[in-house]
Amino acid sequence: MASSRRGGRARITISLLLLSAVLLLTLDGRGSGPIQSVRSSVLTVLSPLGSAASSVASPFRDAWNSVFDQGDLKKENDALREENDRLKGDITANSIAKEQLQQLLQLVGIPFVGDTPVVHTRVVSGAVGNFGDRLELDKGSSSGIQRNMPVVTGEGLIGKVIEVGENRSIVSLLSSGTYKVGFSVVGTAAIGIAEGTGGDGSLRGSNIDSRQSVSVGAIAATSGLAGSPFPPNLPIGTITAVRTNEAALESTVDIKMFANLNDLVYADVVLWKPAG
Amino acid sequence: MDHPAIRYVFIIATAAFLQYTLFTQFRIAGVSADLLLVVAIAAGIVAGAERGAIVGFVCGLCLDLLVVTPFGLGAISGLVAGVVAGLLEGATVHSARWLTAAIAFISSGAGVLSFAIAGALLGRSDMLSLHVFTILGIVGASSALLVFPVVKVCRWADPEDALLRAAVR
Repeated sequence: MASSRRGGRARITISLLLLSAVLLLTLDGRGSGPIQSVRSSVLTVLSPLGSAASSVASPFRDAWNSVFDQGDLKKENDALREENDRLKGDITANSIAKEQLQQLLQLVGIPFVGDTPVVHTRVVSGAVGNFGDRLELDKGSSSGIQRNMPVVTGEGLIGKVIEVGENRSIVSLLSSGTYKVGFSVVGTAAIGIAEGTGGDGSLRGSNIDSRQSVSVGAIAATSGLAGSPFPPNLPIGTITAVRTNEAALESTVDIKMFANLNDLVYADVVLWKPAG
Repeated sequence: MDHPAIRYVFIIATAAFLQYTLFTQFRIAGVSADLLLVVAIAAGIVAGAERGAIVGFVCGLCLDLLVVTPFGLGAISGLVAGVVAGLLEGATVHSARWLTAAIAFISSGAGVLSFAIAGALLGRSDMLSLHVFTILGIVGASSALLVFPVVKVCRWADPEDALLRAAVR
């Protein structure tokens, strides 16, 4: 009898807790202010501890990584040696190509970040949890960083800031598929919307007018159309596949991001806010 | 610090601190051990499904504060892990180390899957990618190892419940 009463009480407790969790999810989904504030405060309080722990643990972490990533490191080492040999031979050709690239960027009007100020940050760690493509940067609101600001590397756009503490920011990577970015195909009038596929640096672009000529190898950059959370002309990646649905007058494309999202060490936050 | 609730608060705060500063630094294939989930599982093993649910819920809320996934997913995950651990422990007729490790593995799997499924239902379909199997394996294995010391700590927090359940068995 007592056991059944205890079982009944346990069921009620568990149900109430489950309902509470669903309520919290609903509040968070509606963008409840207090939850964001509490998260930012926790981030601010814990960030010095995180930095200190990261520094202290650094040698142990390196040792850990060398044990568990040994196979990958060997492959990477071999690949780098091969690449190094190839690059030595390409230096001359590259200097010419660089000059041509500068001319091309000027021609198509891609100033990259241009005169917009950026904050140079260091990637402190990946996410605390195991889900989601997130990075933690070592600078926050005290450096002028705000939510939704774009984050780039020297290669192109990687994501946007989604949480800001005083000295810490959390970046959601573009590849995560949690938000979309408007893009244009350089050298054409084609525009579309790109979204991460959850894979490693892969995006899917859609809503492209099929009458526009889009070819594999073309460059996708942010379109910066009105209301876009990203400024125009931030390089995103290369188009690797094009599919056209003639009936729907729509093309879809696969995009491989320029930026290598593995082992990011530094990233720049572009201090840019959409107009209005 | 005699009341179990106070002791559990101390344990959860310590686990959250260690998760943020230490455990997140050491990853295999991008996945780290989830100490807060282990605390939920250990509480379920020591004191039953109801206590596991409460401790798991609070552990999950702490994790929710540290990550940027929808707030409440961690709470569901911890709750499920704690309940499953409590139910499995209650259903076993004898105690063995391998059984405790197996319960920890299965419970953490239930926690991780509930997190991924709830996330997918909220529009984060990327959470149900193939990577979830890597997370299941690594979090499960690390939970199976970490559960032994954490169970001891939870027995310190909940001595009466632990003794009662041992006597019943």
